[in-house]
Amino acid sequence: MDGVMTQKKTNEKLGGKDLINIGIYAAIYCVIMTAVSMLGFIPIMMPMLSVLCPLIGGITMMLFYTKVKKFGMITIITIIIGAYLWITGMGYWPFVFGIVCGLAADFVAKSGNYLSKKKTVLSHAIMNVTIFGCFLPLYLDINGYFSSRTSFGSDYVEALTRIFRPWTAPVILACCFVFGVLGALLGMHFLKKHFEKAGIV
Amino acid sequence: MEKALYNPGKLDRGILMDPRTKLLLLITVTTFALGGAGGRRCENLVPVLCMAPFLLLFTAKRFKTAIIGIILFWGSSTLLTFANAHNMGGFLYYIILGSCGVLGRFLPCIMMGRYLMESTTVSEFTKAMKKLHVSDNIIIPLSVMFRFFPTVIDEADSISCAMKMRGISIGGKHASKMVEYRMVPLMTCCVNIGEELSAAALTRGLGGEVKRTNICKIGFHVQDFIAISLCLVPWILLIVDVVK
Amino acid sequence: MIEFENVSFNYMRTDEASVKNVSLKINNGETVLLCGESGCGKTTLIRMINGLIPHFYEGQMKGRVSVDGTDTTKAELYETAKVVGSVFQNPRSQFFCVDSTSELAFGPENMGLPEDKIRGRIDSTVNSMKIRDLMDRNIFEMSGGEKQKIACASVDTLNPQVCVLDEPSSNLSLEAIEDLKQTLLDWKEEGRTIVVAEHRLYWLKDICDRVVCLKNGETIFDISMKEFKTYTEEKLRAYGLRSVNENLSMIPIKTEHMSTETITFEKLFYNYRNCDALQIDRLEIPRNEIIAVVGPNGAGKSTLSKCICGLMRGFRGNAVIDGKKLKSRNLLKNSYMVMQDVNHQLFCETVMDEVILGMDEENEDRAFEVLEILGLKEYAGRHPMSLSGGQKQRVAVASALLSDKDIILFDEPTSGLDFYNMEKVAQLISSLRGQKTVFIVTHDPDLVRRCATVVLRLENGHVKNTNSDGEMKGYGTEKEKCYSAVV
Repeated sequence: MDGVMTQKKTNEKLGGKDLINIGIYAAIYCVIMTAVSMLGFIPIMMPMLSVLCPLIGGITMMLFYTKVKKFGMITIITIIIGAYLWITGMGYWPFVFGIVCGLAADFVAKSGNYLSKKKTVLSHAIMNVTIFGCFLPLYLDINGYFSSRTSFGSDYVEALTRIFRPWTAPVILACCFVFGVLGALLGMHFLKKHFEKAGIV
Repeated sequence: MEKALYNPGKLDRGILMDPRTKLLLLITVTTFALGGAGGRRCENLVPVLCMAPFLLLFTAKRFKTAIIGIILFWGSSTLLTFANAHNMGGFLYYIILGSCGVLGRFLPCIMMGRYLMESTTVSEFTKAMKKLHVSDNIIIPLSVMFRFFPTVIDEADSISCAMKMRGISIGGKHASKMVEYRMVPLMTCCVNIGEELSAAALTRGLGGEVKRTNICKIGFHVQDFIAISLCLVPWILLIVDVVK
Repeated sequence: MIEFENVSFNYMRTDEASVKNVSLKINNGETVLLCGESGCGKTTLIRMINGLIPHFYEGQMKGRVSVDGTDTTKAELYETAKVVGSVFQNPRSQFFCVDSTSELAFGPENMGLPEDKIRGRIDSTVNSMKIRDLMDRNIFEMSGGEKQKIACASVDTLNPQVCVLDEPSSNLSLEAIEDLKQTLLDWKEEGRTIVVAEHRLYWLKDICDRVVCLKNGETIFDISMKEFKTYTEEKLRAYGLRSVNENLSMIPIKTEHMSTETITFEKLFYNYRNCDALQIDRLEIPRNEIIAVVGPNGAGKSTLSKCICGLMRGFRGNAVIDGKKLKSRNLLKNSYMVMQDVNHQLFCETVMDEVILGMDEENEDRAFEVLEILGLKEYAGRHPMSLSGGQKQRVAVASALLSDKDIILFDEPTSGLDFYNMEKVAQLISSLRGQKTVFIVTHDPDLVRRCATVVLRLENGHVKNTNSDGEMKGYGTEKEKCYSAVV
């Protein structure tokens, strides 16, 4: 049995090693995400989640992207992250977003054969739109929700809608995307600076 | 404390519910308490749903978590009422409104999520997923993830110890590089451990073509049916609403 | 039967082959010890038997490896898993589930066995290994020895014909090694083929029938254990091996203490939620000496070391150095721990940045001096993570020296090291004597006898220095009195 016996079966289904890798990186990502949201424990800081998560998570994700060779890995990790956000109480929207964004991100990365740098950056940015799902319930049906609490007075509802003005929604969405791009670039910088030298890529 | 977070020991788990029931509870709480679905008709049910996670945490003997949760929840709503009653205005008012509004909405969901994680073992969870016909491609990464949480937290702890000994802190002169100093060793260590973990799992036959079995026993009991019927009420109300 | 036919392998991104043209035949029921210095290729051979090479670790492979007639290079990993069971070096990274019962079920579950059959297998394993009390427990809360037992048990439930073990004892205490030995003897009795790669040889002398020694990827001898036992110490050293008749006594070097100064620790108390981990009222340690902290798992060694370094939250005791009373906070400034996994404490891009990071005033000349003494000068521009394990340890020591710490603490500095590297560490630690107070937390008697000047034996959170380990275990012959620390 001569020659190289590396994994060249790109079009096959996911193997045990791939699935374990997904789990490991998802765990690291979720711990980082939880730590970041602890930092912004003052709930008013919550929008910072859309800045810090993509940025710091980018370091983890870029390392994960180096392990991705098959279709499905990015989809699964995004769904898992969405599900994690869901069961830690962020509502089901991140989960829904996870499925959609994960698939989209996977297709983008696949179109570059999981090697193209530009496609990787774009793919990571799309993936991070998932985080916007956490904020969606704050905008969706905000009047409907608070109208049921008229006991608090109309001033309250008015003030709240003033904080969560509809125009902030696209801003947060854009934040997720832009910082997704920046996070990917930061992650790539770290890959070169540290992880390649440390031999874990 | 951290170690017990995702790894419930056998002894102090309180009443056992099927993980599927817990998931349904979680979905219901997030939909109606957080999402505000159902509108006025469910108004009276929302407080009940909001208190459910705290009650469940008590049964799982997580008294500290439950009490902190209740105090936060109660505190934020009192503060809101207080602010409204005194017609406060200006910047402070907005901060209070924003903080308490968000906290009040998210807290029951976060508590419910915590209960789910603290009272379910990984094998129970995977078995439940299996019964819900989720693919192995999702189940295996999920169980690795739960297995890996304590490891990541452990590693992060050791790294912050190492940073303390070197005098690297937010107040110190290397503050700008905090993220780098934390992330680089964390990633390196976790990836190395992960590599060993995958090697060990693969030599024990993970990823074969045969269908995996699971020896864990789960099933519905009386408490499950009570919880499920509680959950069904708002859903039925919602459906009636939509049909009308 | 395991058969290697002219096997060569080199890992990806390395130039040199780790195994060169090895041919080896292992018969059914044989127990074989693979030994040799670090990097000799014994781990590579083990990985070929269980199929991790070439299916997991990628690289260039030549030749054929077969186990029971099937070619492990061609068979999928989960097929090989039915025949070969593996136990690895690190107990904390080889379990897949969180609770022990699921862990034992994990292998058979992957094979898709029916539920009642799995339960039957778990039962018989639990009975034969006597681990009933470990069932249904959180593996994260177990000691290293217990974890390794679970690892063996989870191999046992798969009931493989061949068992391979890759340095299974390196993270274990002497007591836990005895348990491991018993497990292997049981497996041998059942007629399984066992292949063990190890550095510590003493515990295997009654188990293995055959010894294969490797050097630079080639076999240099392949003899029976009977013959191997007759080899003299000098001959073993020439091959880079540790002793077969290892002296297990933890006896310090007999010298006069260099000064009369002492460090006094007061109120070393610490307790976890339901048990006391540490209960030492007062502990006087000679200053600038090398103190070995030994004792079984769970005796409070790591709690003690964390308290000494000031890393323990809620620790109320203090230390008196130079007549100054130091609380937790100041202890943190005065001490440095070289961790077991050194990767935790390497932060920077180059070795130079790394060592000057903790200095009060960045002084490159002094840094160069220290690096030169530690033999690291030529690596000053390298990334610390790209160095070898021993070099990383030296980098950590360099940063401790440069940040003017009084106390340096080593946590298991020699786990998994061969004779040469262990001796190097011993030299490194000895060279610190007289300048720093050094604590070593260790299970390694060789290291203790080479460099420690005081031995502190902990048991159940108390200092117990009445007898040395050697007398207790009965392997050693010397009966010398320890330099007792004043308690």
